[in-house]
Amino acid sequence: MSIICALALLLCVKSDPCMSANTSKLIEHTYDSLTEKMPSGKVSFIYFGSHVNQAIELFLEQLELSADALEDYGISVAKVNCSRENVEKFCTGGKVMKKAYLFRGSEVLRSFDIDTVFDVNAIVSHVLFTVLFNEVRYVHTVTDLLNVERAAKGKIDIVFGHIQVLGLPEHRALMEAAFVYGTKYQFVLTTGGPVLKHVGVEEPSSLQTGLWFLHCKDISSRSEPCPYTALRKPLTIVNIHTFLQLMEAPLVTETRQDPPDVDVIHRHLNIPVLFLFSQTLTQDLDRATAESLAWRLRGEAGVVLIHRESPDVKTSLQYNAAYQLAEEVLKYFTLKSIDEAVKLFREKILQEEEEIEEEEEEDAEEQSVALDALDDEVAESVYRDRDLMLDLEPIRELTSDTFNSAVTQNGLTVVLFYLKWDAVSMAFIQSCAEVSDALEDVSDIELASVDCGEWTDLCGDQKITSFPAVVIYRPGDPAVTYRGMLGAESLHRFLLLSQVSSPLSLSSHSDLLSFMEGEIYDKHSSLSPVRVLGLFRSAQDPGITVFVEASRILRGEVLMGIFTNEEAEKWVVEHSVKLPAMLVSRGPGIQREAYSLNFPSPERLVTHIQHVLSDPFPELTIENLPWYLERGKPLLLLFVGGDENSGNAGCLREIGNLLKTGQLESYVPCWIHLGRTPAGSSVLETYLGVVPPLPALVLSRLGADGEVFHFPPERPLLADTILQWLREVENGREQPAGMIPNEELRPSVGFYDFLAIMDREVPGYAAQRIPRGKSGAREGRKLQPQQEEQRGAHEGQAPGASLSPGTPHQHSEL
Amino acid sequence: MEPTQSLLLFLSLLTHALCVPGEHHGHNDSRRHDYCVLGAGPAGLQMGYFLSRSQRDYIILERNSGPGSFFNVYPRHRKLISINKIYTGRRNREFNLRHDWNSLLSDRSDLLFQQISRDLYPPADAFPRYLSMFVKELGLRVKYGVDIGKIRASSIEKAGNRCYILTDQHGNDYTCSVLLVSTGLWVPQQVQFVGSDLVEGYESISVDPEAYKDQAVLILGKGNSAFETAQSILGRASRVHLYSPSPVRLAWQTHYVGDLRAVNNELLDTYQLKSLDGLVEGGLEDIAIVRRGRGGGRKRRGGRRKTGETKEDERKEQLYLTLAELLDGRRGNESSKVKAENLPGYHNDNFSLRQPYDRVIRCLGFRFNFSIFDGSARPPHSGGARGRLPGVTAWYEGRGTPNLFVLGTAAHSRDYRMSAGGFVHGFRYTVRAVHKVLEQRYHNNAWPATKLPTTQLLSWILKRVNEASGPYQMFGVLGDVILLRGSYCEYLEEFPLQALPQFSALSGHTISEQGFLVLLMQYGLNRTDTLGPGRAESEWTRAWKSNFLHPVLYYYHKLPTERDMRQRPAGWPLPRPQAVHHMIEDFLTEWDQPVSHSQPLRRFLEHCLQTDLRAFYAETCFRLSLTNRKPPLFCRQGYLKKQGIVGNHHLWQNAREAGLMPNHQETVSHNSEDVPFPEYLKHAGATVASAMNFDL
Repeated sequence: MSIICALALLLCVKSDPCMSANTSKLIEHTYDSLTEKMPSGKVSFIYFGSHVNQAIELFLEQLELSADALEDYGISVAKVNCSRENVEKFCTGGKVMKKAYLFRGSEVLRSFDIDTVFDVNAIVSHVLFTVLFNEVRYVHTVTDLLNVERAAKGKIDIVFGHIQVLGLPEHRALMEAAFVYGTKYQFVLTTGGPVLKHVGVEEPSSLQTGLWFLHCKDISSRSEPCPYTALRKPLTIVNIHTFLQLMEAPLVTETRQDPPDVDVIHRHLNIPVLFLFSQTLTQDLDRATAESLAWRLRGEAGVVLIHRESPDVKTSLQYNAAYQLAEEVLKYFTLKSIDEAVKLFREKILQEEEEIEEEEEEDAEEQSVALDALDDEVAESVYRDRDLMLDLEPIRELTSDTFNSAVTQNGLTVVLFYLKWDAVSMAFIQSCAEVSDALEDVSDIELASVDCGEWTDLCGDQKITSFPAVVIYRPGDPAVTYRGMLGAESLHRFLLLSQVSSPLSLSSHSDLLSFMEGEIYDKHSSLSPVRVLGLFRSAQDPGITVFVEASRILRGEVLMGIFTNEEAEKWVVEHSVKLPAMLVSRGPGIQREAYSLNFPSPERLVTHIQHVLSDPFPELTIENLPWYLERGKPLLLLFVGGDENSGNAGCLREIGNLLKTGQLESYVPCWIHLGRTPAGSSVLETYLGVVPPLPALVLSRLGADGEVFHFPPERPLLADTILQWLREVENGREQPAGMIPNEELRPSVGFYDFLAIMDREVPGYAAQRIPRGKSGAREGRKLQPQQEEQRGAHEGQAPGASLSPGTPHQHSEL
Repeated sequence: MEPTQSLLLFLSLLTHALCVPGEHHGHNDSRRHDYCVLGAGPAGLQMGYFLSRSQRDYIILERNSGPGSFFNVYPRHRKLISINKIYTGRRNREFNLRHDWNSLLSDRSDLLFQQISRDLYPPADAFPRYLSMFVKELGLRVKYGVDIGKIRASSIEKAGNRCYILTDQHGNDYTCSVLLVSTGLWVPQQVQFVGSDLVEGYESISVDPEAYKDQAVLILGKGNSAFETAQSILGRASRVHLYSPSPVRLAWQTHYVGDLRAVNNELLDTYQLKSLDGLVEGGLEDIAIVRRGRGGGRKRRGGRRKTGETKEDERKEQLYLTLAELLDGRRGNESSKVKAENLPGYHNDNFSLRQPYDRVIRCLGFRFNFSIFDGSARPPHSGGARGRLPGVTAWYEGRGTPNLFVLGTAAHSRDYRMSAGGFVHGFRYTVRAVHKVLEQRYHNNAWPATKLPTTQLLSWILKRVNEASGPYQMFGVLGDVILLRGSYCEYLEEFPLQALPQFSALSGHTISEQGFLVLLMQYGLNRTDTLGPGRAESEWTRAWKSNFLHPVLYYYHKLPTERDMRQRPAGWPLPRPQAVHHMIEDFLTEWDQPVSHSQPLRRFLEHCLQTDLRAFYAETCFRLSLTNRKPPLFCRQGYLKKQGIVGNHHLWQNAREAGLMPNHQETVSHNSEDVPFPEYLKHAGATVASAMNFDL
């Protein structure tokens, strides 16, 4: 009866329906309830925490699950919120607390790092392991086990479990079984080692889990070892329970009933049963046969001896045996030998196991498919084209022999340095080919490439350490490394703009005018309508070198001009700026801006120009996002849809108005058009968890705490409502709608641990050598000459070994 | 560096003693140098090149009138067996050095051995000619005709600060702060036994096959010189037997180029096809060679004989191999006294070597000339290689002789029977490594390191693996060390692996807490049937079982100690690391395939660096940069620095089909017509798209 209760209990633990579905068993203690509860002497497992990050959140979920599981063992599970309740000694250790404690009353039995008790299985197994610390014996060597055995002989049977890694479901199953059966059997646990050889495991390191039943109770003699039976199934609660039932069942059941009527426990447990028919004459012999069979099949099948003389037995005399596999029909047969019977069963059982193994093999195959699948999007997208011959004709392949002449031939030679095995290089080379095609009509620009896998000297001479690298060669000028986006559009624009010398020396007012109005280099206006003009009174102005150098740096990005003349003054009078000055035109018809030029270094000037030119309210695109992110301010981000009539323009105008008031200084106001930048929609979805109606205004504190706020969609998007909302957010009166994680992504497939494979397949192969003691070394030395002699004798030619007078005749083979 | 030594060095720096390189330029003494290189062979000239390139005060002393004089005599049969493969199908200079075993290293792409000879196995005369060209073209300072007979450490020495004084045949002294011994091996190795005086040496035998016509020849030794000799006389001699203690080791089985090369192995054929030649194993110390007249010994007259015939027979004496113990302790070697019972054939009638020989030739190799070193300057005998070589540290400094380094073949005790350190194609790299050690120790120039963004590491490793010749030739001995520093790493090439415990002192670099990687090449450890089935692995997950040369990466948190090195797993070049990665051997030695080579390596690096090293298109970086405060490293080092990889529609489509990039097109309407936005919003120059159409 107790066994059935135990089973019921065990099964309850495993199966969900038994759990009370809604009410959580996890107690949340306050300081008072904790101190009140403590002295009761009950065992409780408590986590003290304050700040909750993702890892802690996961842990709390698992903690909740374990509360249900541990309740069955009379152990309560609780958490204490340290940010509200300050419990001395336990509420310490910084913001994120990673310790949980097991108490008996107020005494700490053990503390656990939450990395150890990472899930419900680990919590249950470790907690039970601690509670049962005195009952479950832990052994490592054979001697340890023999000591336990000696004490148990004649008294109690032993359940010997092996768990290589603690905290896994197998460990939990074993500990739960120990809790239930602890009084009935002596439980012994090992985590591996030579002790396993005692129960017939040849390679202890390759076995992860195992369970053996040591039949010690019926052994009276101290010299006799306890026979053991191995559990040949995975370590689960149900399997352990079934196995222990079988160990309790008599070795051979004797009956006078016909097989279909025999009631043995095996049948209830779906274990195969073997029936042997005995005759009165041969009864003793038959019993012996049955017993020896039963020993060999113990744990896998039950053996029943049927006394044929009984009138209830109706089986035909032509059979002397029968068997019944789980849930199958009874089959009669004629048994000839014990081995045959064992073989029969093993085959039947093996068949099932093989099926399982096959599945495992499939798993292994699947695993290798996963290992081999490229998870790098660039590598995979390039690899998928491996059957395509890329048309790289427009890009001239340079070699060490042709390089020097090639880069001096054209006004502009663009050289791509690449490596064939670098997927980024191979993706980019496609863009280069597109650019080359697009520049077909443009004379004086040539695209070329150098394979640095082959022309290693050349790439070394050009100081290329990063791939792909694009370097622009202009005869007479130092080579310039392209630092823009590795895409066709960016490169194309850069190259076209690079054609114009920078700064462009302007000599007359009409030149100046046509430069500023975009008439010169008209074809470039579509690329960049912006013009920057440096105005200097005399050629002696020291600011000229700074401006010229800055122009060189910005070549390809901005069209720069320079005008050095006393008349330059005319151009700035309307702007209340003194010379030297910089005049910026954003396109024909737009008000020009003027800035005074007083910069100590070209780099500072470059930064200034980039700042002046940057858009105060940009549309974020894939290409320009980095420019705005580097400011490190929160993004005030308006997502607008592709639909025309959704009032996008109005919203944009509202924010534009707000911008003019200067009240958005601490933000980067920007917008994303989801039609042109579809990737934005998944950003929005990640921020809020759902796609809200558009347009949607979001404040993303990317550079700071990562909190995301969503402008309430029901409120009108107007300048003052936005401002009001921003103030509320600043004052902490708005709830964040989401959180941007601060954890690095990791690829889903980890590395292939060769060391672990070596340790498993060839133990000792990868292990450090243990320094030999003196005796060992001496032995080694002794051995050597012997080996040499043996070698000589073996080869048959060593005169010293085999040819001294009187040695017996030895055949020598050449 | 050992602690005592570094302390002494420190002291020497404090005291500004005379011996420290660079301290005595004012002396204007032509016989006082920072660096003296002893011997103008390949190793000496190689070191001369590096010293000259770094503009050091050095001199190369050579007793002969030209460089590489060893090769004027050896190999005796005048064929070099070092591979001179000119046509590799590749133009990568570094890669081609993997198959050019004769050239020395220099920055002159035309100074290659192929300028002199285009033969795969070139004639020996070509080598001194090549070396002469090397000296001349690079203007190396070599002083010929200086025969150093004695080397002693300076008397004013304070141990760590000792200099060396070299005395030549005229009694002139050369004072050297650092002595680089590249004298090679040229003293023939001899074994003393009864009758060793009857044996001819490889160094002086006739190389005319006709001189061996119909003669039975016993050769002592089974190395390349023995087989080379055998091969040359095979067509004339009657019987050629090779005798030595150990069986033949075949280079193509052991991967050690000092073992018998297939170029020289014709005799194996004639032996195994039973054409009169053969190999025999046996010790050399306990044998004896005795001279005995033909038909000597006691005679029993059987009928009438002409006396003249007898006399002729007796004049022609022949050599017998026997055992010292059969000679009844007689030291003499007079033929008349040798009786039949002194010969093994008397006791054992089918003894292999029972027949007499016309000649016995010794081909036992060469040893280092220790005799010119005074006790104060003499490096100890090596543990291995039968003590024929000087014992040196892992950075090739003589043990117990600070500031004295051994280069070239003489330094082979470090990797004897293991790697290529005893041969030109190997020691040219160890010489370069020693030069880097010198630069750090005496001139404070740290080991050259290339700084790389961590995202470039994978490509860079693949580049080295696919072309580097140093680790390829000096497998298991020289390896690249990669210092991990978080977002970037420092790449050091060809560090002597056994010196890792002293890495910081020798290289001038420190290890950060991120640890470091070591990249080296190694052959498989469990050698199976070299030509049999299953000799090659192709599944990358079984890479650790690769038998052929393949790259291996070791990852350590901190430098191994001397003790860790000593106790390293049997057969391993390095101690057990925190993690190891084998790259599967490749039939073409091209390790550049995405699935088998690149991705497993990337995952290993990800494990060591604890970061995602995948590449992402700008679109993905855009997404991840907005939705994660720590976007992947590739986005941080590329995209967010405005250098993202954009890609094109075709590639994005591929990635989407593979499920690696989300498909936004489905969720958002495709309408991309321009909305009438306020005019001022459009002015951002940088964001306006170019007019061209990039759709494929």
